[in-house]
Amino acid sequence: MEPVIETFESRKSHMCVKGDGISIPVCDKASLPGTVTQRTCVYGGARIVLMPITDSIHLVHGPIGCAACTWDIRGSKSSREDLYKKGCSTDLHETDIVFGGEKKLYETIMELNKLYHPGAIFVYATCVAGIIGDDIKAVCKKAEEVTGCRVIPVQSEGYQNHNKTKGHWIGGDALLDYVIGTKEPEKTTPFDINIVGEFNVAGDLWGIKPLIEAMGINIISTLTGDSHVEEIAQAHRAKLNIVQCQKSSNYVAKKMEERYGIPFIKVNFFGLEQTVNSLRDIADFFGDTEMIERTEEIIADGLKEVEHKTDEYKKRLEGKTVALYVGGNKAWSLVRAFEELGMDVMMSGTKNGIKEDYERIKETVKDGTIIVDDANSTELARLLKKYKPNLLISGAKEKYISLKLGIPFCDFNHDRISAFAGFKGFVSFAKEVDASVSSPVFNLSSELGGGLNGT
Amino acid sequence: MSCVNVIEKDRNVIINPLKTCQPLGAMFAVTGINKGFPIVHGSQGCSAFVRYGFARHFREPSEIAVTALHEDAAVFGGRSNLVAGIENLALRFDPDVIGVITTCSSEIIGDDVYGFADTARGNLKEKLGEDADKIEIIPINTPSFVESHYKGYDNAINALVNHLARKDEPNEKVNIIPGIINPGDIRELKHMLASMDTDGIFLTDISDPFDAPLRPSKTKEIPYYPKGGTTVDELRDSANSLGTVSICKYAGSGATSLEREHKVPSAIETPPIGLQNTDQFVRNVSKFTGNSISEELLDERGMLVDSMADNAARYLYGRKVAIYGDPDLTTGMARFVGELGMEPTMVCTGVKYPDFNPDMEKISKETGSDIDVLYGQDLRAVEVYLKENPVDLLVGNSDGRLIALDLDIPLIRMGFPVYDRVGYQRQSVLGYRGGLYLMDLITNTVLEKYYEPTHWKLQQ
Repeated sequence: MEPVIETFESRKSHMCVKGDGISIPVCDKASLPGTVTQRTCVYGGARIVLMPITDSIHLVHGPIGCAACTWDIRGSKSSREDLYKKGCSTDLHETDIVFGGEKKLYETIMELNKLYHPGAIFVYATCVAGIIGDDIKAVCKKAEEVTGCRVIPVQSEGYQNHNKTKGHWIGGDALLDYVIGTKEPEKTTPFDINIVGEFNVAGDLWGIKPLIEAMGINIISTLTGDSHVEEIAQAHRAKLNIVQCQKSSNYVAKKMEERYGIPFIKVNFFGLEQTVNSLRDIADFFGDTEMIERTEEIIADGLKEVEHKTDEYKKRLEGKTVALYVGGNKAWSLVRAFEELGMDVMMSGTKNGIKEDYERIKETVKDGTIIVDDANSTELARLLKKYKPNLLISGAKEKYISLKLGIPFCDFNHDRISAFAGFKGFVSFAKEVDASVSSPVFNLSSELGGGLNGT
Repeated sequence: MSCVNVIEKDRNVIINPLKTCQPLGAMFAVTGINKGFPIVHGSQGCSAFVRYGFARHFREPSEIAVTALHEDAAVFGGRSNLVAGIENLALRFDPDVIGVITTCSSEIIGDDVYGFADTARGNLKEKLGEDADKIEIIPINTPSFVESHYKGYDNAINALVNHLARKDEPNEKVNIIPGIINPGDIRELKHMLASMDTDGIFLTDISDPFDAPLRPSKTKEIPYYPKGGTTVDELRDSANSLGTVSICKYAGSGATSLEREHKVPSAIETPPIGLQNTDQFVRNVSKFTGNSISEELLDERGMLVDSMADNAARYLYGRKVAIYGDPDLTTGMARFVGELGMEPTMVCTGVKYPDFNPDMEKISKETGSDIDVLYGQDLRAVEVYLKENPVDLLVGNSDGRLIALDLDIPLIRMGFPVYDRVGYQRQSVLGYRGGLYLMDLITNTVLEKYYEPTHWKLQQ
């Protein structure tokens, strides 16, 4: 069979076309050394999951680069505090490597507590912290006893695994082991939930929260978008967890089910159909007749509000092809939203997918869709060049690979500035996709005798 | 008597850093080589986050390979990853130079990158035959826990010349060590050299790799290299130049090595920001080549002076400016600000170099203003300082945007990274023309902020 694209022999099985007899690509393997992988490290995974906790200080225990290259890179918005935006580092030096960095870490925690009195201090282990064997847990415990501030170790040594998802889980473990269940809510209602795996990038949470609250539901906490640590501490009293980013956060939801018996359902607020289904699923879970009726009203109002608002965009987008190359969840959660715009998802891939993620993608996409795993920069460029989608959805590292080939690009990652979730979010989504695809620049001739698109 | 007051960090923690670790500087340096490819011997994040940073600032693709060290490597060493990594890189990308960049992890576990590179070289010879000989594999030690990205850049340039420079016939060229600057800056330097009939060898040249045109017909083959960058032959030939001008004073080791090993005289100076620093650069080039300073450059200088006479006294005199960022940009900018009649009341750098404070003393004497030097500090220190000591203007990278917003001080964007505005990477702050651009930028910012919008008579 002809390979999807030319690449190293060992990489060919990481790409397939959905169809008869084909299952899913080989996945969850170490990247090939010496290629330009689009993946990042375990530390990066933990950091993005926890960073949206806005009243907390996020302290990176390592050489300066781990903090310097990652502070405030996540477009998670806050309605209250902005402590989470600070880039804090123990800035380990040679002497710390030789004699250990525990003393410096302890003093650093003391200083931060005194300066900011944060809701919590999350302490992230980096490669160096792991290799020199600093006992971060012990330091955090001691610092917590002395300060009275929550000091939470995150064992996120970057080299632990090829898969950033391990980092998401480690971030989840920090919450499970040190935060969740440590405070009792003042009051409970029959309809208490947590929103799990929603990080409020560009304000997505604010497109979802009002809908859910209008249903008569009490949101105890969000993990972790626009949250405070004391809210997450009460999360164990929820009657239900709804999970938006199932890639990063199924893990936490499953653990909470085991520990506290809280059931969870998977939701998806990208796209109208998915938003409607998600709201109905939540209402059905509680089975409260009044809530079910109210939910139908909310849905009717929501749909009415955006009716015809995307018509103009759809006209231009009809039949256009789109390739998704994302961290994980969006490889399936965005597919229906694009189909609602009349677009054709011709490729879907992830950098860090595991088997269950690819099963999910396979269920969602239509026959003939290319499914790729951990495509490095060369492979991504070859895929774009060979299959010429009208749009690539990905992140900042991929943006210019795509644009240099004359292929329109739309950021669906940390650098996104418009909220895409919920009813109104869908209109912004359509608008932004349209702007990316329909900009006249891509029809302008760059060379004699040809346009940019598909040259 | 004007003086410098040095304020050092009084805490352990760094809050909102003004520096990053060594590997970034080395990745930048290797990117400036024609068919040069950086490979980072470390975790995936070590390359991924730097690529993200470069993409955000330069708005270009950034190709950096990684050996993707994992837990087993931390225990057993990263030999197999690096050897396989170099081979895969060579086979797929057909590079001329592979810069093997170490990290904290690989340095601490004690990987012998020189030995591993030799092994990889041997393996490649078996696979590629003589073609393998044309691939230069150059280890660059950049332990992340020592100094900063600036040192990493210095180490990389030094490793490149030590590895490649070969004594041969004199070439009548001038080597330039540009430092961590923008494509626009390098293009301005090229313009000044051309104006003085001088060929330059840039160690290295990121101007085309980090500012490339969109021409799909050029990308028929994938992988493809952007055009430009310094060729291996040029790097070899750097031993035969008339001289080396390092316009990064604190990262001039490559110039010192070329002088020591190959008797190439060096001038290691503050970058040509503003009038006198540019004069110094032009004089150095003229000194090495014997070429006279061109009429064109004298006119450009005259145009800068002309506009300074018009603008500086009227709108800028006496205004207080705070500057933060890399050490060379901040010293260069402090002097220029002084030339414009403004007062550089605070200068902050995230790193420490012994010459930095004496250099600030000189600028203080020259400009007649007291300067508070935040030495080896961070943006938290800048913020705390500015709350007590207000200024009219802030100069630095995008990371200070929230300080500017909170304190309602206009921010002149400069340095790395700038990610919240476009086009800064294409502009030059260097040379006489760069001075004009900067002065206009500063003046317009002052007009917008401090002058009544309805009062149109700017001459008053």
